[in-house]
Amino acid sequence: MVDRVLSELADARGDITLVIDDLHELNSPEALSQLTRLLMSLPPRVHAILTTRHDLRLRLHQLRLAGELAEIRAADLRFSERETRELLDASGIALSDAGAALLHQRTEGWAAGLRLAALSLAGHSDPERFVAEFSGSDRTVAEYLIAEMLERQPADVQDLLLRTSLLDRVNGELADLLTGRPGSERILLELEDANSFVESLDPERTWFRYHRLFADLLRLELRRTLPGDVPELHRRAAGWFTLQGQVVEAIRHTQAAGDWPEAARLLADHSFSLTLDGQAQTIQALVRAFPSGTDHPELALVRAGGDLVQGRLDQAAAYLAVAETHAGTAPPDRRRGLRVAIASLKLSLARRRGHLAGVIEQVRFLASPVTGQSDEDIALDRDLRAVALMNLGTAEAWSLGLPDAERHLREGAVLAREIGRPYLEVGCLAQLGFAYIFHGAAMPKIHPFAMTQARCREAIALAERYGWGAEPVIAPALMTLAGTMVWLGEFDEGERWLRRTERALRTDTGPDIRLLLHLTAGILHAGRGRRHEALEEFSAAEHLGSQLEGLQALASQVTGWLLATQARLGLPGEARACLAALDDERAGSGEIRNARAVICLAEGDPAGALGAVRDVLDGTAPVLGYVTVVEADLLAGLAYRELGDPRAANQAAERALALAESDRLVLPFAVTGSRELLEALPRHETAHAALLADILDVLHGSSPAAREQSSLPPADELSPGELRVLRYLPTNLSRPEIAGELSVSPSTVSTHIRSIYAKLEVRDRSAAVQRARELRLLAARTGTTVT
Amino acid sequence: MDPAPALYVIRINGHLGATVLSAFPAMASRLQGAETVLTGLLDRSALYGVLAEAEALGLDLLEVRQLIPHCGSPELGDSRSP
Repeated sequence: MVDRVLSELADARGDITLVIDDLHELNSPEALSQLTRLLMSLPPRVHAILTTRHDLRLRLHQLRLAGELAEIRAADLRFSERETRELLDASGIALSDAGAALLHQRTEGWAAGLRLAALSLAGHSDPERFVAEFSGSDRTVAEYLIAEMLERQPADVQDLLLRTSLLDRVNGELADLLTGRPGSERILLELEDANSFVESLDPERTWFRYHRLFADLLRLELRRTLPGDVPELHRRAAGWFTLQGQVVEAIRHTQAAGDWPEAARLLADHSFSLTLDGQAQTIQALVRAFPSGTDHPELALVRAGGDLVQGRLDQAAAYLAVAETHAGTAPPDRRRGLRVAIASLKLSLARRRGHLAGVIEQVRFLASPVTGQSDEDIALDRDLRAVALMNLGTAEAWSLGLPDAERHLREGAVLAREIGRPYLEVGCLAQLGFAYIFHGAAMPKIHPFAMTQARCREAIALAERYGWGAEPVIAPALMTLAGTMVWLGEFDEGERWLRRTERALRTDTGPDIRLLLHLTAGILHAGRGRRHEALEEFSAAEHLGSQLEGLQALASQVTGWLLATQARLGLPGEARACLAALDDERAGSGEIRNARAVICLAEGDPAGALGAVRDVLDGTAPVLGYVTVVEADLLAGLAYRELGDPRAANQAAERALALAESDRLVLPFAVTGSRELLEALPRHETAHAALLADILDVLHGSSPAAREQSSLPPADELSPGELRVLRYLPTNLSRPEIAGELSVSPSTVSTHIRSIYAKLEVRDRSAAVQRARELRLLAARTGTTVT
Repeated sequence: MDPAPALYVIRINGHLGATVLSAFPAMASRLQGAETVLTGLLDRSALYGVLAEAEALGLDLLEVRQLIPHCGSPELGDSRSP
C-alpha cells in the first residue's frame, strides 16, 4: 500500500497535498508504522495534513528536528479575544466588549463552546445577562450551553433532536418515524441553516448527522429523560432499516433494543448474503456484540461461517452440525433459506479440505431448483449458483481438473458480475489466477506465465477497487503472482508479493491456503540458495498437506521439493526413507522421480539419477507442468557431467534452455545448481545465448559471494541505449516487447539489460528499477544529452 | 496487565450536571469547589473507557489518581458518602 502510494506520488506532477482525517481511528501498530514510513519518505513536493483528536504513536521526531513538521495544537486552535469578537459579529450578535471578553474567558477560546454560545445568543432578548449567568455558573461549558440551546428550541425540535440522537445519521422519514410526527425534514433543514451542529451528508440534503459532542450529550439527555422510550426507538429504527434492506444497521438497532433472539434470527437469515458482499468482519463484530453466556442456536450458523473464513475447519464443522439440527426446528418459511446457507458453508468446508467428492455432492444439492418463484427465491438461486461455481471451480483447480476449473470459475465470475456481487467475482478471478499457474505450466505456448501474471494483476486491481486488496479473498492471486515471479528468477519482486500475501492471510489459518504459502516461500528460499530455510517451509507445507483430504494437485510437488532439498542439504538418507514410504502412484510422478534423481546425485550415483528421470524425459511419467521436464533435463545434464560425457551434458542443458525459452524460466537452473553445467556450454553452440546470460546473472546473484557485495554508487554512466531500455524496466513489458517498442533485436535489449545490471550493481529487474529511482535515472531529462 | 480493579479518583474542571454524570454510571461524584471529583472501582478497560468518555464530552480533565486501598482510608469513606 505504502509503496503503491509512494510510486503514484512520485509519478504525479505539481504540488500534492495528502489529507488524512480522523487519524485517531487508526489503532493498529502495523498501520501506524506503515504510515510513519509513508510520511518519512514523501517526495519533496508532497505535503501531508493529519488531523486527530489525540496524539498518536507516529515516530516523526526526525521531521520535527528538521523543521518539516508544523503542529497545530489546542493552544493554536483556541480563539483569541479578537477572533471571539469577529465570530459574534459574523453571527449578528450584539454584545458589549466586556461581554465578549467574559465569554472568551469562560470558554477559554474553545471553538465548539463559542459556537454553542453563539447559538444560544442569537436572538436572545438579553445577551449581556446570558453571558453574565453563564460566567457565574460552575457547570461545564458544553453541558451548560447544550442545555441552554435545547431550552431555547421549540418543544417539537427538542423532541426530534433527543429521539433521533441514537442514529448515526438521520433523514426526514426516519425522524418522522421516531418522533411520530410529520415535518421532520423541514426542521432538519432549518437546523442545518441555523447552526453548524447539524450538517447534511449529501448535496441533496436528505441525510444529516449531528456534531459528535452534540450527539453524545443529546444521547445522554435522552437516556436520562426518556429512558423507557429508548428500546422502542431502536426497534422502530431497526424496522425502517430492515425495509430499506440495510441489514447491518437493522441488526445493530435490534441489538441496542435488547431484542437478542430477534437480532440473532436476523443475523442468521442474512449472514449468507452479507458474506457474499465481503462483510465477514462486520458479521463477526455483530456476533461479538451479543452478551456472552446466553448463546442463541441461530448464531451457530453465523459462527460456522466466521470459523470457515478464518480457516478453523474443525470448529466450523462442529457449529455446522448444531446449525443443521436447529434448522430442522425452524418454521417452514425460513427453513429453505437456512438449509441453503448451511449447504453453501458445507460446500466451502469440503472445498477447503480439498475434498472434491464432498464439493460435488453439495453442488448437486444446491442445483436442485428452488420451489417458490418469488423474486427473493430467484435472487437466492443466482447467488447460490455463483457460490457453487466458485467452489466447484476452485476444488477442480486444486485437483488439476483444469479445463473444468477454468470454465466454472469463468462462469462464476460472469454470473457474480451480473448479479452485482463483486466479492464473489473477485473470489472467482483470484482462484482463476491460481488455476492458470498449472494451466500455464502444462501448456506454456497457450498460457505463458506473463498471461497468468496479467490475470492475477487484473483480479488484484478489482479487489483493490473495493478495498479487499489485503483480504484473504485475493490471496490466491497474490500468491500466484509471487510464485510466477520466483519461477522467472525475479526473487526480490516475488518476495514483496509474498509478504503482501502473508498480510492478506493474517486472519486465515486454513491448511489449504497456508500450504500454498509455505510452498511458495520454500521455493523462493530454494531459488536463493537458502536451503535450510527452504527445508523448514517445505516441511511445514508437507505437514499441512496431511490435514487435507483427498488428492490435491500440490501433494507430489511439495513432497518432491522436500526430498530434493533434504538431499541437497546432505541428508540423502532421510530423503530415501521418506521416498520408501510413498505409494506407487506418488512415487511414479515426475516430481518425485526428479527428487529421486537428486538423491542419487547426492549419493554419487549419476547412473541411478539418469534412470530416475528417464520416464520424465520420454513423457511417460505424469508431470504437473513442463517445469518438471526442464528440471529433469538439467538433472540429466548434471549426471552426464559426473559420468564424463560433456557432449550429452551440453545437449541436455540445451534442451532445458529450449523449453525454458518461451517463459524465460530461471528457477530450475538455480535450484538444481546448474551454473557449471551452463558455463561449460559453448556460446556458439546454443541457440539461447540471451536467456543463458540472464540465467547466469541470476545464478551469480544467488551465490553467497555476490550477496555480500557492497552497494557502491555506480562507477559508469549508462549509455544512451542503456538509458532507453532502462526507462522500460518499471513497466510490465517483457524483453521481446521492449525490443519491439525500441525497434531493436531482443538480444540487444538483453545485452543492454545485463550491462545496466552490472553498472547499477543489481541482480534483477526490480532492484534495477529501485536503484535507478534512487539515482534519478528514470526521470525524463528532456533537452539533456546523457553521455 | 493488571486484572484486579482498583479505586480511582478523577478530578474534572467544572460542575458536571445530571446529563453528563449519567455517562459515568459506575462512578460516585461529589463537588469540590469549582471541580467535580469522580470516584469508582475500575479495572483497566473501564478506566480507559471513562477517560475516552471524558475526552468525547470535551471535559477538562485535571487529575487521575489511583488510591492504594488500605483499611479505614478516609478517601474511600469520602467517595461513598452521598
